[in-house]
Amino acid sequence: MSSIQIDNVTKRFGNFTAVDGLSLDIKDGEFVALLGPSGCGKTTTMNMIAGLEDPNEGAIRFGAQSLAGMRIQDRNIGFVFQNYAIFTHLSVWKNLAYGLEVKRVPRNEIDRRVKAMAQRMNLTHRLDQTASKLSVNELQKLAIGRSAIVEPRIFLLDEPLSNLDAGFRAYMRAELKVLQHEFGQTMIYVTHDQIEAMSLADKIAIIDKGKLMQYGAPLEIYNNPRNRFVANFVGSPRMNLIDGELREDAGSLKLMVHGGAEIALSGRVRKDILDEQRHAGVSLGVRAQDIYLGNRRAADDIEMRGVVEVLERVGPRRLAYIQVLQTIFLVIDDQDQLHVGDEVPFFLPSEKCMAFDLSSGLRLGAA
Amino acid sequence: MTSVISSRSSGKGPAGYWNRVARDKDKLGFWFILPIFILLLFIVVFPLLMQLYLSFTWWTPLEGTPWYMAWESFNWGEYYLQMVMDSRFWGALWRTVLIMIVAVPAQFFLGLALAYLFVEQFPGRKLFYSIMLTPMMIVPAVVGLMFFLLFQGTGPVNAHLGLSPEFSWLTDTNRAMISVIIADIWQWTPLMFLILLAGMLGVPSDQLLAAKLLGGSNWQNFLKIILPRMKSVIAIAVVLRAVECFKIFDLAFIMTKGGPGVQTETISLFLYKQTFGELEWAYVAAIGLTILIVLSIIAAQGLAYMAKNKG
Repeated sequence: MSSIQIDNVTKRFGNFTAVDGLSLDIKDGEFVALLGPSGCGKTTTMNMIAGLEDPNEGAIRFGAQSLAGMRIQDRNIGFVFQNYAIFTHLSVWKNLAYGLEVKRVPRNEIDRRVKAMAQRMNLTHRLDQTASKLSVNELQKLAIGRSAIVEPRIFLLDEPLSNLDAGFRAYMRAELKVLQHEFGQTMIYVTHDQIEAMSLADKIAIIDKGKLMQYGAPLEIYNNPRNRFVANFVGSPRMNLIDGELREDAGSLKLMVHGGAEIALSGRVRKDILDEQRHAGVSLGVRAQDIYLGNRRAADDIEMRGVVEVLERVGPRRLAYIQVLQTIFLVIDDQDQLHVGDEVPFFLPSEKCMAFDLSSGLRLGAA
Repeated sequence: MTSVISSRSSGKGPAGYWNRVARDKDKLGFWFILPIFILLLFIVVFPLLMQLYLSFTWWTPLEGTPWYMAWESFNWGEYYLQMVMDSRFWGALWRTVLIMIVAVPAQFFLGLALAYLFVEQFPGRKLFYSIMLTPMMIVPAVVGLMFFLLFQGTGPVNAHLGLSPEFSWLTDTNRAMISVIIADIWQWTPLMFLILLAGMLGVPSDQLLAAKLLGGSNWQNFLKIILPRMKSVIAIAVVLRAVECFKIFDLAFIMTKGGPGVQTETISLFLYKQTFGELEWAYVAAIGLTILIVLSIIAAQGLAYMAKNKG
């Protein structure tokens, strides 16, 4: 078990900067997800922790111990590869025992631990078979078991669930959470799937283009995205982000939306924007879940009118695509009250709206 | 429609026959492979049978009897008996096996070590790779000549090692064999290297990484992950070299002519001398056939081993 400090780490491949001044503080026993789109640098970050890549600048420490120059073999890291990297020419038993055998753990001790791990991973009946005969689901369990058996000080998982079928993925997500509790180990989990990250992690580090966008607990990130990228990336369905220019006339503040619509800003979001220096370009963000239909609930809420273009069923609810001139708003219709083609009023609650500076992407006002 | 029915009913004519052949896929296949089958018959089966036939006679080209009349001197396998009693044959066989059991393992271990070096990227890798492969591109007779010159008493080897010109390699009863083996190792290690490198590059890199992360040292991972995964490639390389080595001729012929005496006379050299020196062609046929059978058994064993360890 170990805490990890990533201190201002930069990694370049030729002219391409994969990781750019990244700092993260991961506490002992925490489950942290590195979340970001493909190519954002999350896997490179993980590889640097594992020692597969050396950072060009900055340092990584396990507790007080610096990792610089330490051999991969000595880092004692449990690493679960995306494609599992199981030794398919060996038996399941030999796979599980590998990390113990190379450390010359006594035979009876190996025997005991392999049996216990097989039991834990539900692989006892497979122990004597060649690993190449295992199903994908079993390979996944074997990969985790093989890493866990050596009691690594940290666990790194590289998109471990992406090859699984939907049913087993949900099961494995729960299983991973249980395992992390049992092992009590620091786990770092790389994924591009925000739902996985939200449901598993104690903390999420959102990375884009090699830079840390935000680091915090899932709900904190969901409720308080620090910038436009995070707001856009986290949450399903995606947050409505309406880009436009500000215009002030006769005391009222309006967002002239690029698609032609006008939104009269009021309440908290108006204050958020006015608190900062004047920004010409602003992006107004509001989650589909927060937009409501029917009657006004608060005096400050912003009223809009639009035509229902598409209704999409998502589980028990429907997702409505409501068009206001050129702009589409995603709205949750949870009582099946809308019909395609209707022109309906809907409200953006001022308390829940967020404003982002369009050029820097940063959140305006409350943070 | 009617024509198909009529051709089927009157299936006795030539057109009807070919129609039936075309419908019967197995028969059609047979007709397609027939030409190559006949060709094979002439280039493989016919010479083998001829060899078998001659090996049971006293026939030699000196008497002017055509080979197909050889049955007139049928000898009921006397030459096979002679072969079993021929100490020169057994000597040649032993020396051939000796070259094989020294040179092939040496080539294997050298090739394996070199392949392991070349798995990693390093500056100049491509250049060294090309240089490494050069020896096997050279005609064996030329390699023989090179080593013939290198191992002369006044040659560079003695000069480099500071030995006197009287210290002979190619005319010394023990060192002649060592010289031939060194030449063979020099020429054929690259082939071993090439095959083993291909096999080694086929070992999934993430498995090696996983093994490292589990704490395995490079040596442990090499023994437990790389080598077992290369089993079938190793079998191919070793069988190939063993069979090739058994046929060694050019190197020894140029370097020592089998000498001094018969100290480096291999099976191929022995057969050559029997053919063109003694002109005992029927005897050569008997030995050649025996060697062929022995080699086939070795190769078949190797291939069976590979099939068993597939994957």
